[in-house]
Amino acid sequence: MQNTLLLTIILPAAAAPFVYFLGKKSSRYPAFIIALICVINIALLSIIVPTILNGANHKYVESYYWIPVLHASFTLFADGISLSMAIITLILILAAALFSINYMQEKKGLAGYYTLLTLLSIGLVGVFITSNLMLFYFCWELMLLPSYFIIGGWGYREPYRAAFKFFIFTHAGAIFVLLGIGAIFMVTGDLDMFQTQNALKAANPELVKWILLSLTVGFAVKMAAVPVHMWLPDAHSEAPAPMSALLSGVIISAGAYAILRVSLGTVFPAVMATSFGSMFLHGLTIFGIISAFFGSLIALVETDIKRIIAYSSIAHMGYVLFGLSLFPFQEPVTGTVLHLVNHAVSKGLFFLSAGAVMKQLEIRDIREMGGLAGQMPITATSSTVAALSIAGVPPFACFMSEFLIFVGAFQAINIDNFYLIPTALMLVATVLSLAYALRFLSHVFLGSTKHEKATDPLSFMKTAMIILAVLTVALGVWPTFFTQLISSASLV
Amino acid sequence: MIELLDASLPIIAFVLFSLLTIPVVKIINKVKGGKNILLKLFWFLIIFIVTGVAVANLALKYYAEPSPRPFLNLSLTGDASAIFSSMFLVDAVSVYMAIIFTGVSAVTILYSLFFIDSDKELSERYYAVTLMIIGCVTGTVLAGDFLTLFIFWEATAAGSSFLMLYQKTARSLHATIKYLVMIIMASAFIIYGLSVIYAITGTLNFWEVKHALAALADKRLLEIVFVFIAAGYSIEAAVVPFHMWLPDAYTAAPASSSAFLSALVDQASYYVLLRVLIYILTPPTVLPWNFMFAVLSALTMIVGNLLALTERDVKRLIAYVCIADVGYNLVAITSVTPLGIMGNLYFFLAGGITTALAFMIIGVFNSMGIKNMEDFSGVGRRMPLTSLALVLAAFSFAGVPAFAGFIAKYLVFTSAIEANMGWLAIVGVLTSVIQAAYLLRLINYMYAKKPKEEGKIKEPKKLLIPIFILAATIVVLGVYPNIVLNLIEPVIQQFQLMP
Repeated sequence: MQNTLLLTIILPAAAAPFVYFLGKKSSRYPAFIIALICVINIALLSIIVPTILNGANHKYVESYYWIPVLHASFTLFADGISLSMAIITLILILAAALFSINYMQEKKGLAGYYTLLTLLSIGLVGVFITSNLMLFYFCWELMLLPSYFIIGGWGYREPYRAAFKFFIFTHAGAIFVLLGIGAIFMVTGDLDMFQTQNALKAANPELVKWILLSLTVGFAVKMAAVPVHMWLPDAHSEAPAPMSALLSGVIISAGAYAILRVSLGTVFPAVMATSFGSMFLHGLTIFGIISAFFGSLIALVETDIKRIIAYSSIAHMGYVLFGLSLFPFQEPVTGTVLHLVNHAVSKGLFFLSAGAVMKQLEIRDIREMGGLAGQMPITATSSTVAALSIAGVPPFACFMSEFLIFVGAFQAINIDNFYLIPTALMLVATVLSLAYALRFLSHVFLGSTKHEKATDPLSFMKTAMIILAVLTVALGVWPTFFTQLISSASLV
Repeated sequence: MIELLDASLPIIAFVLFSLLTIPVVKIINKVKGGKNILLKLFWFLIIFIVTGVAVANLALKYYAEPSPRPFLNLSLTGDASAIFSSMFLVDAVSVYMAIIFTGVSAVTILYSLFFIDSDKELSERYYAVTLMIIGCVTGTVLAGDFLTLFIFWEATAAGSSFLMLYQKTARSLHATIKYLVMIIMASAFIIYGLSVIYAITGTLNFWEVKHALAALADKRLLEIVFVFIAAGYSIEAAVVPFHMWLPDAYTAAPASSSAFLSALVDQASYYVLLRVLIYILTPPTVLPWNFMFAVLSALTMIVGNLLALTERDVKRLIAYVCIADVGYNLVAITSVTPLGIMGNLYFFLAGGITTALAFMIIGVFNSMGIKNMEDFSGVGRRMPLTSLALVLAAFSFAGVPAFAGFIAKYLVFTSAIEANMGWLAIVGVLTSVIQAAYLLRLINYMYAKKPKEEGKIKEPKKLLIPIFILAATIVVLGVYPNIVLNLIEPVIQQFQLMP
């Protein structure tokens, strides 16, 4: 088909009004529509997979007329990396929509909630499948607006405070991204990622340096790397569980994807050979280590069920930053993107399971929980799968990708022995993540029973958790589909 | 060929209709009941069809000119040496301004027809003054020499004071006097500066002044003159530190006037700055004033946004946003690039309709007694449609993509980077974050706080029509800005051909 990627954008946009009016009548059907759209979109994206795997340059591009004055065309493109991210995003939205049916059923104003979720899916998918920086920025902010209202409108405790913090932090980051994009446009006169990649090589390296820093700082805010992570624990823990799953699973991954695609893929080649280039990569490594240790250590002492998972997201973005800092090597890049995919599934599952526990018990302190394994077997199983995957235990998903990142790190040590100590430190950090995962499981599901009446949640919540749990195991046992797809993409 | 009549027809039409409106609306007001508003609508429909045709005629004739699209000077005498050697100047910028002014003013008048100010409908004099101002503003953007510009622009400023005074309260009297004192000082500065310019160059025609000044060997006198002219026009555009009149004036005026003033008169004042600074005192050939205005621009953005951050009265807060908008416009003006001029022209429309929209909505809220931030608690649930429109306006102000304000700010900041003034762009984006912060605080009050009273408030359906026309325009212009960008693209070409 000619317009496959355009359809994936248009479909949710066209469905948004229907979702709204249906949401006025029923609290279930809008979720089914979103799920249906996700299934259709996954099917549409799978059509492109053979083209990418077998095509000459492993790319698929569609271009439409948009704002010619600004050299902004509506360019949609897909290669292995963006396609895997888009597919996993859709799977997560599907799970979140199904989970919402039971999870949100007592809440008010669900028509608005599902409409915002539909709009969010446009931005979330769009950010991965465009190569025009202007369109990219549009989608980037389109992720932000619906999330703000979902967290604020349907969150816990003081939701608008958390949402405000989220909005201001990430919007400030986005403004730095905008500055970088404006500077790229000024230097190259173009906004296409692949055109500008070459044009930037001819530009003044002093300026390129600033562009690179401005973009990376902006993306790092979305990714919640330490020290710009402050919005994450609040936003992730106060949001409703399906939204937390999307935030931790996909939105922060979009930050990592953007660093890979725009900072490293588009701008970085222009300064790769200079001393600033290696300094920049080493900087990423150091911030990665700090994030990994900071997130893991706080997750070890935190007692709020969702904040533990939120801090573990910061830790995992640390691994991703470390993976990104090994940039030009093929294995670590594949490993990093695979880790984004695996982390999205595992963390999504983790948040949904925690949401199920919170919903059934209506408490959030893990010290007051215990012995739930017997009463909530399915939630316990899915939590265990998620927690062990997050801890990097084989045969669950995240083990595979962490392994690939470390293989890449050992390759890098051969060339640049700066990476020797960071790699050792990162290996220590994985032990910490096992520690907080086990602490979580033992507090919540093992030990003496404290809540007699707790049961497994309703059917749609279970369905959503089972889908993601099966996927987490499947990706751990057979990662070949994604590794093939991801390694077919060449960034430089 | 464009004749003098083509250019003066929109102005004449507006002024004539303004004079006719007083008797006509008086007669219409004798009819009571539902027919009254229909007749009024019909009357204003006629006005805007006629003036719309006049403007469209001018635009079509201009675009039918052989390419590259020229600057057309139209004069009364045809004698180039006369003082009035060009009464009118028709170029891509002025045609564009005339089009958007006619369109936007039609929507603001539609609003004022339904707007009820302190239990009374607006009187016929209000409409007459409004139409007169539209005529004068159109004259301002079409003026081709300093004297014509001065006459039309001062007439606009004087007319505006009637709109501010409309409520006849002590507060509005105070604000109007403050405004008039500032404006009279400004025009004194300007007239002094212009007289010296006439003494130096012997002409007031834009291009001849420009050539004569560029050829000047000793520019010391020009520097002094520049201070007068720049200060004069800066006062009228409310550039910090000359901004004090604006918040008072806009808060004291009825909401329909504030919407009208911010959408037309404010934008026209930026147009005057643009025309005088870029097209006539072009740096660096005539006078390198960039840095001075860059500093003023940074000051305006910072002060405007910080004042808004501390403000509790929402109408006044929007007035401070207007001041911040002056700063963003100045960023593009000081960059002196084609992209910057495009950014300015886009901002005139985007910023104008966003502030007008905001004032219109605040007018609806004020009529329900909702004035301060605290009063806005929980109105999101009680008045969903009006609140939604305010959220759209707020996001457009903050420069969030998919809203018109984003494209405007993008063009403006990119032009600053292009002109090697990265620092100004950084100040601009950081103040945008402040802007997002206080607008989000307002949204926070609207949706997160508990309302003082429960229950829905009846929303005025008729007032929502103009409000949602503007809100839809903001979204359409944000997603598909080509509609306007194509119209202003000739400006780039024209800028390079500047005589």
